[in-house]
Amino acid sequence: MTDTIVCIKQVAEVEDADIVLNDDKTGVLKDDLVMGINEWDSYALEEAIRIKESSGGKVVALSLGDEDCQDILRRALAMGADEVVHIDKNGFEGSDAVGVARGLASVIGKRHFDLLLTGVQGSDDGWGQVGIILAEILDLPFASLVVRLENHEDHLTVYRELESNTQQIVELPLPGVVTIQTGINIPRYVSIMGIRRTRNLPIAGTGAGQLGLMNSEIGTEGSCVESRQLFIPSDEANAEMLEGTLSEVCEKALSIIREKGGTD
Amino acid sequence: MIPQRELFWNIQGVWIFYLLVSVSILIFAAGMLARVLSWARGGRGLKYSFSLNCLSDLLLDVFLGRRIFRNDPGAGTSHLLVLWGFLGLFAGTSMLMVDHYLYHCLTGLSYLLFSFLMELFGLMLISGLCWGLVRRFIFKIGRLEKRWADLVVPLWLLVAALSGFLLEGSRMAAQEPAWGGWSSAGLLTSYLWGGHDAALSSYRIIWWAHALVSLGLIAALPFTKLFHMLASPTALYMSALPEEAFLPEQTVKAGQALSKRALVFLDACTRCGRCTEVCPSAASGEDFSPRRFLLSARKREAVNYGTLPAAFLFGKRDVPAESGESIYNRIWNCTTCGACADACPAGISTIEVINCIRSEAIEDGTDVPQLLAKTLESLTKHDNPWGAHRKKRFEWSQGLSVPSISGANPPDGLCYFAGCTTSFDTRAQMIARSFVSILDQAGVNFFCIGKDEPCCGDIARRVGEEGLFQFQMENCVELFERWDIRDLVTSSPHCFNSFKNDYPLYMSRDDSQKAGSFRVRHYTQLLKELLEQGKIRFERSIPSRVTFHDPCYLGRYNNLFDAPREIISAIPGVEMVEMEHYGADSLCCGGGGGRMWQEDMTCKVTISERRIAEADAAGAQMVITACPLCLITLEDAVKTAGLEQTLRVLDLNELILLAMGKREK
Repeated sequence: MTDTIVCIKQVAEVEDADIVLNDDKTGVLKDDLVMGINEWDSYALEEAIRIKESSGGKVVALSLGDEDCQDILRRALAMGADEVVHIDKNGFEGSDAVGVARGLASVIGKRHFDLLLTGVQGSDDGWGQVGIILAEILDLPFASLVVRLENHEDHLTVYRELESNTQQIVELPLPGVVTIQTGINIPRYVSIMGIRRTRNLPIAGTGAGQLGLMNSEIGTEGSCVESRQLFIPSDEANAEMLEGTLSEVCEKALSIIREKGGTD
Repeated sequence: MIPQRELFWNIQGVWIFYLLVSVSILIFAAGMLARVLSWARGGRGLKYSFSLNCLSDLLLDVFLGRRIFRNDPGAGTSHLLVLWGFLGLFAGTSMLMVDHYLYHCLTGLSYLLFSFLMELFGLMLISGLCWGLVRRFIFKIGRLEKRWADLVVPLWLLVAALSGFLLEGSRMAAQEPAWGGWSSAGLLTSYLWGGHDAALSSYRIIWWAHALVSLGLIAALPFTKLFHMLASPTALYMSALPEEAFLPEQTVKAGQALSKRALVFLDACTRCGRCTEVCPSAASGEDFSPRRFLLSARKREAVNYGTLPAAFLFGKRDVPAESGESIYNRIWNCTTCGACADACPAGISTIEVINCIRSEAIEDGTDVPQLLAKTLESLTKHDNPWGAHRKKRFEWSQGLSVPSISGANPPDGLCYFAGCTTSFDTRAQMIARSFVSILDQAGVNFFCIGKDEPCCGDIARRVGEEGLFQFQMENCVELFERWDIRDLVTSSPHCFNSFKNDYPLYMSRDDSQKAGSFRVRHYTQLLKELLEQGKIRFERSIPSRVTFHDPCYLGRYNNLFDAPREIISAIPGVEMVEMEHYGADSLCCGGGGGRMWQEDMTCKVTISERRIAEADAAGAQMVITACPLCLITLEDAVKTAGLEQTLRVLDLNELILLAMGKREK
């Protein structure tokens, strides 16, 4: 039996979309963007469900965000989560990773669990910190960048992905925190009917006020990081079209690759 | 002496015979009942309706064996002989009972006629069986399997028939009737016995042997391939009925994955292999065959949810390697071209069975091919399977000033539904660009939906994502109602088929008016009308040998074979040639059934390359098609086959525009 809590985040899908910044250059206009579960979190969620399927226990999915993020919580229910909790974003605007982690920890800390999973990072902000700060706040051991996980009930054996295709094997006592890297599994497909069937299942809601968090702990006020400006780097016209016969093009391509040190 | 025959002549212990009859009928009835009841387990039902046409078709198919004769007169002859022989002997034996217990009618001339006919039926049965056995085991016809059942069952029938003749012979040797000439085969057999006494003692033994073999056959019927006598006609009748729509909130319980009809299909299969012969996937050397798939699905059902006879046949403990998840590996090859269903003498739609199991796999979610899952997610999020942003949907019309929905008033005229692939794929966009140019020049009042055009949901339905299909359908219907769109024309035969055949199944469930609220045509139909009205005029000669590739969802699914051919033939200079497979017998391009959005399958030669090889063999310089998926797959195949210099793949719109002497605006 392994009770797992998994933190998931809703992000904008930017593949094939033209990004437009808002007027004060602090964020991206989301009107035309489709929202979905953060890629890393979808792997963490799948891993949590797989642990439940093989070892038993409960899965609780947790998300901090606006009303829309209930979509990904329903998706979690459809995948097999037993319970989902939505922390309202109100008061958390402008939070740094610590502020977000405080919000999540104030829900997680009141619950029993053996394993806490998060994605390695969010595809939007790319901090890669929340999971690790959560471990700090909850005073639990952690392993990051995990690409393989073996559950032994009282402890885990996890494989961490390091540089240059090396991996590190770590024994992690439970309860503990693991941040999940993409590719650890293949997240299952969630059908529309599966999601429709969760329509009447409850989503527990809570917020900064109910959790007893002070303004000085979260939001802009509690943040030690301030976003100055968001910008889109200008396109650089460095493309060179190679012309000539096939073998000439190949020769030229090869010499360019050599020149740049590509064949060393 | 009046010619007639005494029942139970010289037989003692008739009560034992009747005991055996009761036992065999009991086993027969229990087996039949169990198998028929097992069909009720299926999840999705059918809308039963009675139609005299369906019934007369069924009777002709069953009693004349029309579908069995098709493409294989040898098989048709063999089956017809066995069928009529069997039926005749069965009816004759029943007649004997009537004659003995109810009304003595087999006397005099009617008896002589009776015995002559019984001999004829017996000889038909024997010759049919022998011909079948020779075809299977001596001529070794490729599609016919050689399992034990294929030998034992016909031999059993053969023994029953031959023992009948021996019985008759021994009886005639003992009785020496004056009218023996009416039963010449029996008379011939009677010479086997030298004298009256020897014949009489053999007669008794043979009588009991014949009874046992025949009664055993009746008892075994529900448990052997002979069960197809009931299952195949049932399947054939059901195959013509419309299926019941899937309810959105319906939870599929274990064992309900297959529809009722699919369960009948599984029982109706006689393993004849005609499906595998025509399957484009099997012919390409992919690890798939419709027959193998049906058999493993049948085995899976029997093992997991086995009823009495199934448990008897397979044994619950004997879980085959092909059960459980692994059947999921076999469901994604099917292009849903429908060739197998057309070829099947029992009308089995392998596609329906596959679609049921695809639905099961989709709802389970853990074993969906990754690219397909990504495609479906893209459809959910972006309203198209191509992962393109929805804002870019109308970019194909750039520079053409195509009227689209805007403002508050519903536009009037014809609505051109471009469809996802035509809108997003750069090659397929030429279909839309050519089509609107033709419409313009023909003076047709039309408009497009524009960037809010939804996906029709065809791909979702083909891969078993029922919920997503219904979601897309609701989007489309809602949009058509909002803008009062009542006349549609599509580029893709897939959208066309969805609107025309799939939507009504679902819409009529809760709102019967909606089902008929819009008319949909494929562009080939519209273009043919425009040609007939003289609105399209060909001003340029195209001196080229041209062949037409029938898209499955236009041809086989909707019987539209002629319109595109008539248009092509009307173009001056064109020499129309046909490929080896064309019309109802056409060969799939390999892009349907969700195959467009899957990883390539391991094969000897791709499905589309086979098709292109046929076009090349026909000496064609142009392959014309009328479907965006066919256009993309076939053009790819021309490139991989290295035929770019000699063979061009064009959409019919592009060809027409060329012949009109116009460039796209």
